[in-house]
Amino acid sequence: MITMLLQLNNIFKWVNSGGQRIFLLKDLSLKVEEGEFISVMGPSGSGKSTLLNVIGMLDNFDEGEYDFLHESVHTLKEKHLATLYKQYIGFVFQAYHLIDELTVYENLEMPLLYKKISGSERKALVADMLDRFNIVGKQKLFPTQLSGGQQQLVGVARALITSPKLILADEPTGNLNSKQGEEIMEIFKQLNDEGVTIIQATHSEKNAAYGSRIINLLDGRMV
Amino acid sequence: MFKNHLKIAWRSITKDKFFTFIKVGGFAIGIAACLLIALFIRDELSYDRHYKNTDRIYRVVLQGMMDGELRKSVHFQLPFADALASDFPEILKAGKVNTSELFGAGKRGMRLADETQNNFEEGFVFANQQLFEILEIPLEQGNAKNALIQPQSLVISQNKATKYFPNGNAVGQTIVFDNNSSKPYTITGVMKDFPKNSHLNFDFIMPIEDTNMSWTNQNYFTYVLVDENANIQELEKKMFSIMETYVIPAQLKRGRDENFIEVLKTIEYKLQPVSDIHLKSDLKMGDGLKHGDIRFVWLFAAIAGFILLLACINFINLSTAKSANRAKEVGLRKTIGAFKSNLIAQFITESVLFSIFSFILGTILAWLLLPTFNAIAAKAILMPWTSWWFLPIILVSALCIGILAGLYPAFYLSSFRPINVLKGSLSTGSKSGRLRSGLVVFQFTTSVILIIGTLIIYKQMNYILKKELGYDKEQVVIIEGAHILGEKAQNFKDQLLQLPKVQQVTKGDYLPIEGTKRNGNTFKKVGEGNEERGIPGQIWRVDYDYIKTLGIHLTKGRDFSKSFASDSISSIIINEKMASRLAFSNPLGKQIDNGQNWTIVGVIEDFHFKSLKEDITPLALVIGNDIGAISVKLNPENIKETIASIATIWDHNVPNQTFSYTFLDQKFTHMHDGVQRMGKIFSSFALFAILVACLGLFALSAFMVEQRKKEISIRLVLGAPFKSIYKLLTLDFLKLILISIIIAVPIGWYIMSRWLEDFAYRIDIGLEIFLLASVIALLIAVVTISYQSVGAALIKPLKSLRTE
Repeated sequence: MITMLLQLNNIFKWVNSGGQRIFLLKDLSLKVEEGEFISVMGPSGSGKSTLLNVIGMLDNFDEGEYDFLHESVHTLKEKHLATLYKQYIGFVFQAYHLIDELTVYENLEMPLLYKKISGSERKALVADMLDRFNIVGKQKLFPTQLSGGQQQLVGVARALITSPKLILADEPTGNLNSKQGEEIMEIFKQLNDEGVTIIQATHSEKNAAYGSRIINLLDGRMV
Repeated sequence: MFKNHLKIAWRSITKDKFFTFIKVGGFAIGIAACLLIALFIRDELSYDRHYKNTDRIYRVVLQGMMDGELRKSVHFQLPFADALASDFPEILKAGKVNTSELFGAGKRGMRLADETQNNFEEGFVFANQQLFEILEIPLEQGNAKNALIQPQSLVISQNKATKYFPNGNAVGQTIVFDNNSSKPYTITGVMKDFPKNSHLNFDFIMPIEDTNMSWTNQNYFTYVLVDENANIQELEKKMFSIMETYVIPAQLKRGRDENFIEVLKTIEYKLQPVSDIHLKSDLKMGDGLKHGDIRFVWLFAAIAGFILLLACINFINLSTAKSANRAKEVGLRKTIGAFKSNLIAQFITESVLFSIFSFILGTILAWLLLPTFNAIAAKAILMPWTSWWFLPIILVSALCIGILAGLYPAFYLSSFRPINVLKGSLSTGSKSGRLRSGLVVFQFTTSVILIIGTLIIYKQMNYILKKELGYDKEQVVIIEGAHILGEKAQNFKDQLLQLPKVQQVTKGDYLPIEGTKRNGNTFKKVGEGNEERGIPGQIWRVDYDYIKTLGIHLTKGRDFSKSFASDSISSIIINEKMASRLAFSNPLGKQIDNGQNWTIVGVIEDFHFKSLKEDITPLALVIGNDIGAISVKLNPENIKETIASIATIWDHNVPNQTFSYTFLDQKFTHMHDGVQRMGKIFSSFALFAILVACLGLFALSAFMVEQRKKEISIRLVLGAPFKSIYKLLTLDFLKLILISIIIAVPIGWYIMSRWLEDFAYRIDIGLEIFLLASVIALLIAVVTISYQSVGAALIKPLKSLRTE
């Protein structure tokens, strides 16, 4: 049986600039089922990142309805939202956003600390991830000592470590060369096969092809 | 180019108004504090520098070891000054002043000879003509050359002349003191009021009437004017001949033994420059004048320096804190061709502009605070707006400090590499973190020391006010100027006792507060040989009921009583100190001698009759007839009404003199004004320093939050709860505050225990003071940091993670 993960109904988001309303998202509706791999495409400024941020609850919207796992996000309080997205969503960023002062190991461990997971369990989970992404040998290094591809690998591992239902990736390969990008995409594919829902924003047709469904955006609308 | 710099500077100043407010405000507070302290110090240092011959005027000080401790005195014999002038050619003039109430200086009732209304006045002294000349006291009216030559002449201050002779000529007018019209005084001169910054300050100067040319009585301050070629050290040594030629023979003649003479031989005469008197006098000298203290001048100068330094550090921190905002600008300017030097010039222009604003604001702030500061410090300092040096100094300081404070931010900001900046991967150098931490520690150490100082001063003051003094200072009214009662004094006393709310009444000017009568005597047990040197002590001539009125505790024997006829002739009551110094096991009935024989009839508990800075010394009470003041012990209820009734009785007895009174407890508090003043000055400086340090901390936490915004955002996105972010940002700073406390406690303890050494009776510096100071510092710090860290923990992570 296929279960609905999230549903957007007639979402609008705008900013007011000089008395004019500029729409970032315009009447956008989207259903995502568990286990999908969606690629969001569109030129710069078309609203890809905004859409991802809205889905990730990092940003709010001005009009419309948003249900996530049968909870209506638009009616929830900020604090409740935070617990929701912290529990079910993992983020992967174009600029990796690792903490420079922490080692690879510590970066991976951090989300677990915030979930109050016990020390031994943390150790096991981090070891699993290091193993899975073949970065055991790099666990003591700092982010600046790694290549871009390796950093993004750590970023993906960090997003996965709390076993989220949904991974949101905003141009995950944007700062990588093609070979490194391919590696990351392969990993996404593999994760999707294991049942993780993935929504990625991308410019590249090739990367978009990894997805099971492609959404095209232009000026905040789906086309 | 410069105009462009100015324009950009102005825009960045006005862009973030809150930030500008903090930056300029903090700096201005520091400048205001510094300016006030500088004016205070300038005033303290200006004492007695207004004479033409300042560097040739000296006060004579005597010092020597007696009973193992260093004794100092500024009181000399009547013929001493004249001997100096005649025996030493280097000494051109020698002046003397008598300020002792025993001789009629201090307070008098006075009236114009042809009027009946009496007024109670203070500030009477006896002086000789030479003193007048040495201190260059300018006369507004009269002839300065002979104003104090004729007996019963009187020089009054301009202030008093205006009061009594509003229509002009005072010279030649006749004045009567204490209703004694058989001995009128004629005004021979009106002198300019003594400047505020003179260690002496009198309103009425009379020629010396004392004729006792004895070399064993010491009552006169002696001032000398020396020749410009005089060698002071040599002169001091030569002056010992006075001791050999006059003092020792006189003491031998009086029957003093060898031991005493040996002590006299160790005594030295010193010459204290007149400009040192205000700040470098010793309590031991016992001149009874209000003095400053050079140690406080240094201390305050240090505090001023620190506060200015703290303010500059803040300025730098705040400038670099906002660096991330400027980084992009720097990067862009560099890519379009700006040289590093252009950028440095731009940032320094900005900093100087900030500095000038701060100086203007700080000067205005100081000007606004000056009246309050004057009230606290008991000064009359004016803003030297019109002095030629004032505005240039302010301007030059603003420029220098602006440039100095701008240097570090200028170099720091202008060294960003454009590529890094524009790529957005700017890591705002956390390398100098240790330096910044050091600065925070420095700021808070200073603040904590000041907090400790303030707490200890207040604790000591509280101790002084609450201390068991050995007498009861509450509800005692002191009626001043009671000389005027003359024969009627006893009658007046009896009438007061009729009032239902009056408990006790006693006559006499010997009271346990400074500024009342004092004397020096030597006591011995009767029957002991001349080999005993005797002990120094005071003998107070008091009225019956003295002990009851002041609530002094009698521990042995009995009070004076009219039923013993001998009490008014030969009975004496001594304090425990005297009993123990004279080594009596049971003093009652024993006889002691101070030139006259007395029989001890009672022993009283030691009570404090000096400020708590000094030890209680031996004291004896005998019955005398002295009516300088009358003390009245009242019932606690309806005090106002009782005083009104007393005033009515007073007016009935002396219709021509206004009733003037004070309370004993007020006078006691007044005696320790200096401590209270110190407390207030200290706490206001502490407040300044804390304010500046807090702004600093605020700046630094802003800086840190700015630097770690990205990290915080990542943590937030990954699920960090509010608490953990708050802790992350706060804990590091609290560690620094703890380090400051650890450094400040021993320093504060050391400085303040040195200060407490001034007091013979003092508090123990308890642990609770340091705990309280630490808690205050920590609380202030937590509140300050929280503003930023709460803000940071609540940021929308998206804002700082957006890459476009």
